[in-house]
Amino acid sequence: MSLLKDLFHHNGNGWWKIPKTSEAEANPQNEHPFGSLVQKTKDFLVWITSGKGHAGPTYYWVIAAILGIITIVEVWWFDQEGLRYILVPAMLGFSLIKFSLVVAFFMHLRFDHKLFSYVFVTCMVIGIFIFSLFILLSAFHGFGG
Amino acid sequence: MSSDNVTIHHGEEINNSTGVSNKKLLMWAFLGSDVMFFGTFIGTFMAYRNKSLNGPYPADTLDIPITTVSTFVLLMSSLGIVLALHYLKESKMGLAKFWLFAVIVMGLTFMGFQVYEFSHFAHIGMTPQVNLFGSTFFTLTSLHGAHVSLGIIWLIFLLYNEFNGNLTSDNAVDLEIAGLYWHFVDIVWILIFGLLYLITAGDGVPPGGIPWEAAH
Repeated sequence: MSLLKDLFHHNGNGWWKIPKTSEAEANPQNEHPFGSLVQKTKDFLVWITSGKGHAGPTYYWVIAAILGIITIVEVWWFDQEGLRYILVPAMLGFSLIKFSLVVAFFMHLRFDHKLFSYVFVTCMVIGIFIFSLFILLSAFHGFGG
Repeated sequence: MSSDNVTIHHGEEINNSTGVSNKKLLMWAFLGSDVMFFGTFIGTFMAYRNKSLNGPYPADTLDIPITTVSTFVLLMSSLGIVLALHYLKESKMGLAKFWLFAVIVMGLTFMGFQVYEFSHFAHIGMTPQVNLFGSTFFTLTSLHGAHVSLGIIWLIFLLYNEFNGNLTSDNAVDLEIAGLYWHFVDIVWILIFGLLYLITAGDGVPPGGIPWEAAH
């Protein structure tokens, strides 16, 4: 019900009612199809990943469990003949999630100084560029064939 | 440049304009360069995928169940080192030593799996010079193995220092930068396992290739 209200019920004034605002007024909050849902989701994600400022052992065990589960799903996916046609994007996606979890939480980039993130992410973008260049060269020129 | 000294939570004094530990910044810069290094080798491997015209091919060689176990061991070693660092910062030396020792054991176990895999491949005739798959596979996985070996040696030194009382919560940053390096070899393996093993393990004879069994 609250989701429906968020979506279609403006400030308790009535269903489908378009708010009357003048240009002089500040923009109303959450004035989009998903109401406050986006903000609530964002707040929840920030809270769940913050580790209350400094993560502890339980937090690390949970991250390790998630990494283990993703690895099991990867191998299960690999074993399914019917899912082979999307194996490459699926494996890229799973690897990216695991990579991000380790970098953000085990390597503390989520909690550490932003300068470390800038250094690492800049180099990673260059690395991905080099990787993509090799793949594109291979696709269009077929070297080594 | 500011002349104020800043002390961060695990005892290292910061007296530079960035306000962050020089050791950690240097390690992150090194890891950034290593990302580009491994990005090139993984890119090369993927570019040469399915380009070998003679066997053995990935489908003939790669053993996913064994590699899954070694991947799991390396993932758990990442958990171990983050716990070792956490307990060191809290001066719980017994737990810190236990987890650091466990990480070394898990690292050695991973290397044991790699030695077994390499010797098995050599036994069935897959060597670096046999085809493009062999060249790119051994180059990439050997470089990763060299990184893991270096990490194990580094951690053994740190454990020795811990037992001698030279590694305490005051200089926990020394274990922290070793931990960053160790996590990095873990994330590289995450990519290798996903991209090199799981994606290519089903690759058989490409168009125009000679079936491996027939060639022998």
